Amino acid sequence: MANNNLTAQEKATLNKMFWLSHLVFISFSMVKMEANGFTMTMTPALEELYKDDPEEMKEAVLRHQSFFNTHAVPFSFVAGLAYAMERQHKEGKVDGTTIENIKAALMGPTAGMFDSLFFNAIRVIAAGISIGLCRNGNFLGVILFILLYGVSQSVVKYFLLNAGYTLGTSFIDQVFNSGLIQVLTKCASVIGLMMVGAMTAQMVNVPLNLVVNTTGAEGGEVVVGDILNQVFPGLLGVCALFLMVYLIKKGWTPTKLILLIFAFALVGAAIGLF
Amino acid sequence: MAGAALKICIVYFLLNYIDEICLSWQCLTRPIVIAPLAGLVLGDFHTGIIMGAELEAIFMGISAIGGVIAADATLSSVIAVAYTILTGATIADGVALAFPIGTVLTTVNNLSMSLIANPMAAYWENLAVKDLKKFAIQNYLFAAAMKLIPTAVVFVAVAFGVDGLNRLLGALPPFVMTGLGAASGMMIAVGFAILTSMIWDKEVGIFFFVGYVMVAYLHMDTLAIAIIGAAIAITMFFSHKRVIDLKKELTSGVVTAQENTNDEEDFF
Repeated sequence: MANNNLTAQEKATLNKMFWLSHLVFISFSMVKMEANGFTMTMTPALEELYKDDPEEMKEAVLRHQSFFNTHAVPFSFVAGLAYAMERQHKEGKVDGTTIENIKAALMGPTAGMFDSLFFNAIRVIAAGISIGLCRNGNFLGVILFILLYGVSQSVVKYFLLNAGYTLGTSFIDQVFNSGLIQVLTKCASVIGLMMVGAMTAQMVNVPLNLVVNTTGAEGGEVVVGDILNQVFPGLLGVCALFLMVYLIKKGWTPTKLILLIFAFALVGAAIGLF
Repeated sequence: MAGAALKICIVYFLLNYIDEICLSWQCLTRPIVIAPLAGLVLGDFHTGIIMGAELEAIFMGISAIGGVIAADATLSSVIAVAYTILTGATIADGVALAFPIGTVLTTVNNLSMSLIANPMAAYWENLAVKDLKKFAIQNYLFAAAMKLIPTAVVFVAVAFGVDGLNRLLGALPPFVMTGLGAASGMMIAVGFAILTSMIWDKEVGIFFFVGYVMVAYLHMDTLAIAIIGAAIAITMFFSHKRVIDLKKELTSGVVTAQENTNDEEDFF
């Protein structure tokens, strides 16, 4: 790869990031999914860049603590790209929101591509070969499976991390030199918001199970959830999301929101709302 | 039985922790790897290898797309291997036996996700901002603790049977499980809400709904949406670029024009 142009410092940071980028699923939760793994992967980069700037450091940590989810292999590509963007953020070339947007834009498509490649293709091929060997009691089949399906992921990860970094650096430098970085910020927002909208439709779900019988007669039941979904699919989910965005802008903390949802879901289930 | 159960649990815990936390390969927890190792600790490596091949063939087609881990393949494998080696039962018996344990395990995993992992999200955020070293250490420990929960279930189930566990979970009022399930779907909305509030942009906010509609109405794939999004963004980029270039040309044009008039005045 174009590794030759990197400074010793960059190489050292990328190396540390490579090992940490294996912690994708550490402390996985439904709220932020792989956010903790991403923060840990970004730690060497952030410590290198913002050692002397606690205020920027805090903001950067929060940026990488936000919701993140993709396949484990392209995870390192996004991390490499984020490192490049953080460096340019420090130089004043890119603003924080653009970093968020580019991360958000890459989650869905990379997950789809690499799920098909690794889970549906390489895993099946590796298992096919190894099953043949193991059926005869040959332990080499197990080793082969680990090499083909496990170690291969780390190798690809290594190249993707470096590719993300070099690509991010050269691309953003080019755009910055042409004086169009403000425009890039807008364009990144378009893709970022579009992908977050798409993922909201895929993942957020308010399972309303409310049946109202207005007439009191047999067969007069109205399934409220179905009606709402006919008006706009997933209407409740979108409303819940924007209510929470509003509350966050009002200064509510995530803890409060999580507790609110807990209480709401349990009470709702108790009275037969869900 | 308890001794064998303990050995099985050690294999189960270690491979789960190493693979799913430290490597994120989702490779070492596949039947073809875990079954031989389970066989090894129980003293019959050869049977383990052969059973690994059979079990992998059974579970190969059962997919877990998008980060959902196929815990049942792992669980069924270790239990099937243990039963075959210890009692001489068939693979089918072992897998059948693992099924109720798998159901209990799913319930317990859901419970620990809703009651422990989800509420921790805010704690992690505060800790990460304060001290990244502590954040890292606590993450390693927390992940291990979270993996100990299913391991304990496997141990109890193998050593003492699943009846007691089932009764214990059955004592939970059903609305608790329904409520926690509903909460899970809405928890993701918290993550998205934080993200959306950070990247929201009044001018192009409407594109959130464009992406939403593409999934909700058109059932499109994220890659397809990303390509359309990129096309819109690139078009926007170049049209803005043209505007900026034109502005530059205009201003430089005005400057030369003014210079010309100055020259003329000097001339006259």
